[in-house]
Amino acid sequence: MPSYSLETVLAVRETIYRATLALDDQRWEDWLALCSPDFHYAITSFSPEINKDMIYLQGDYKDMENMVRMLPKHNTDHSPLHRHTSVYTVDIADDGRSAEALSSVVFFQNMLDGTNSHIDSGESRLFLLGRYIDTLKVEDGIAMFVKREVRLDNRRLDKGSHWPL
Amino acid sequence: MPARNESQWRATPPLQEGEWIDSRIYSDREIFEEENEKIFKHVWVPVCHESELPKPYDFRTTSIGREPVIICRGPDNQIRAFLNVCPHRGMLIERRPSGSFLEGQPSGNPTRITCMFHAWQFDLKGNCVYVAREKEGYQDRLCKENVGLRRLRCEVKFGGFVWVNLDDNPSVSLEDWASKPFQCLRQTLEEEPLEVFHYHKAVIGTNYKLWHDTNSEFYHDFMHYHNRVTGFNDAYFARKNEAFDHGHVVVGTFEVNYANYEGFESRAELSFPHLPPNQWYMIDLFPGFNFNLRGSALRVDVVTPLGPDEVMIEFRGLGLKSDTPEERMTRINHHNSIWGPFGRNLHEDLIGVAGQGTTMRPGTEPRNILHGRQENQTIHDENGMRHYYDEWGRWMNRSPREPDKAYSPSQAVAAE
Ligand code: FES
Ligand SMILES: [Fe+2]
Repeated sequence: MPSYSLETVLAVRETIYRATLALDDQRWEDWLALCSPDFHYAITSFSPEINKDMIYLQGDYKDMENMVRMLPKHNTDHSPLHRHTSVYTVDIADDGRSAEALSSVVFFQNMLDGTNSHIDSGESRLFLLGRYIDTLKVEDGIAMFVKREVRLDNRRLDKGSHWPL
Repeated sequence: MPARNESQWRATPPLQEGEWIDSRIYSDREIFEEENEKIFKHVWVPVCHESELPKPYDFRTTSIGREPVIICRGPDNQIRAFLNVCPHRGMLIERRPSGSFLEGQPSGNPTRITCMFHAWQFDLKGNCVYVAREKEGYQDRLCKENVGLRRLRCEVKFGGFVWVNLDDNPSVSLEDWASKPFQCLRQTLEEEPLEVFHYHKAVIGTNYKLWHDTNSEFYHDFMHYHNRVTGFNDAYFARKNEAFDHGHVVVGTFEVNYANYEGFESRAELSFPHLPPNQWYMIDLFPGFNFNLRGSALRVDVVTPLGPDEVMIEFRGLGLKSDTPEERMTRINHHNSIWGPFGRNLHEDLIGVAGQGTTMRPGTEPRNILHGRQENQTIHDENGMRHYYDEWGRWMNRSPREPDKAYSPSQAVAAE
């Protein structure tokens, strides 16, 4: 194992976990700051119903930046999401400059709106299950996202969401 | 008017009959059960698209009302529908959402529909072809020929959708049921085969009719920032709501300015066949099916009511089967931008009807729901809902405004 490996693995994990916190806290700019300008984002799922791989949302850095900038114009469910991410594997390229990481992720909704906030607010509900399939580049010991695929198990998405997952 | 006391709040609004309804039709359990019996067991339901079972022996399962249904493509390429119920002891015959009967199953042979419970087998026409230890158990009293599946009326039409009717003798043929509202898009949808590329579902705590209402009224475009900036112009406000027999409504088209939403693009290059660029048509079929074409992508919503205050909505997105991978990707992006589960509009629509569902839970007090906008049957006129509820009243023999009373034709609708 080359000597840079452990450090690089830690850098990758650090970036994934920092992204989780930024997304949970809706600090969109902090999240985007962890993404490289050639970043590509996608939410995908496989549907056994129609027997197709599907893309539920995708975009490049600019699309994502635009999407979060436009959020105040839209009516959005107020219930914050809380992610639980576990990084399972990190594979570093031979040159040590890029990495692929696979994480398990669970999305809970901490109800604020619910259906009747008087009853539902304060409760947490399981919202989505999936994996983060990430490609990162590593420069000067810092890992940045080049690609993130949020691979969902779900096809039942109920109200859905306006936010990046 | 200032805020009202109870009797003012409950008073008859200064509108004509038919311009408001009673919220109990969205919340009453007895009415819901009656709708399943009187409406859903007798209407044509677009249960799926032919592209979901592309090869012989492919199947797809679904349900109408509470009845499980299986759709199969036979070796003769015919698509047929059966109750997904075993004639022996009522097992659900196929448990998966889709698959192929070319694969053998632990209890049975390939190329047959096998009930796992006691291994009865059926062919793709619904004939029973195998009863385990038939003679030993039934002697000559009952044989395979007596226990075929329950076949259902099934047709593939209007762009390759698979339509099923639980009623063996529907009051109208599928052609007569929906050809007029489909007229505006028929050439477009039938020019070449379509293909489903998107599927997701939502289970929402609201009445199914509230979802259909939202698909039929465009006044709520005020809650969609996207629709305001890409739509609100003279051509938009001139769009017509046209009512058709059997409770259907079509919302006419205009040219949408997608590029007015920052970061979005015109859909002109991938228009469906025979359409000018960036058109937007909406076909709303009674009692809860919606065909929505925006330039480059078709969206279809199908409701399955689960209770007076719960509905499952299935969302499909379709493109042309002949799409190149690049074209398909663009259609998917266009579809997702507003209609996907993470798109800008669908989330807003679902929040809207969920909120209505909250105020109209079973047992909440009856309230007036206003459907009284009159704007010369243009886009923000509420004639689509008035037309729908007149039809609903007829099927249910209940007045939408006073659901305990019998139906009589609504004055507001008659005047239109
Ligand atoms: S219930 Fe199907 S074979 Fe017995
Ligand atoms: Fe809408």
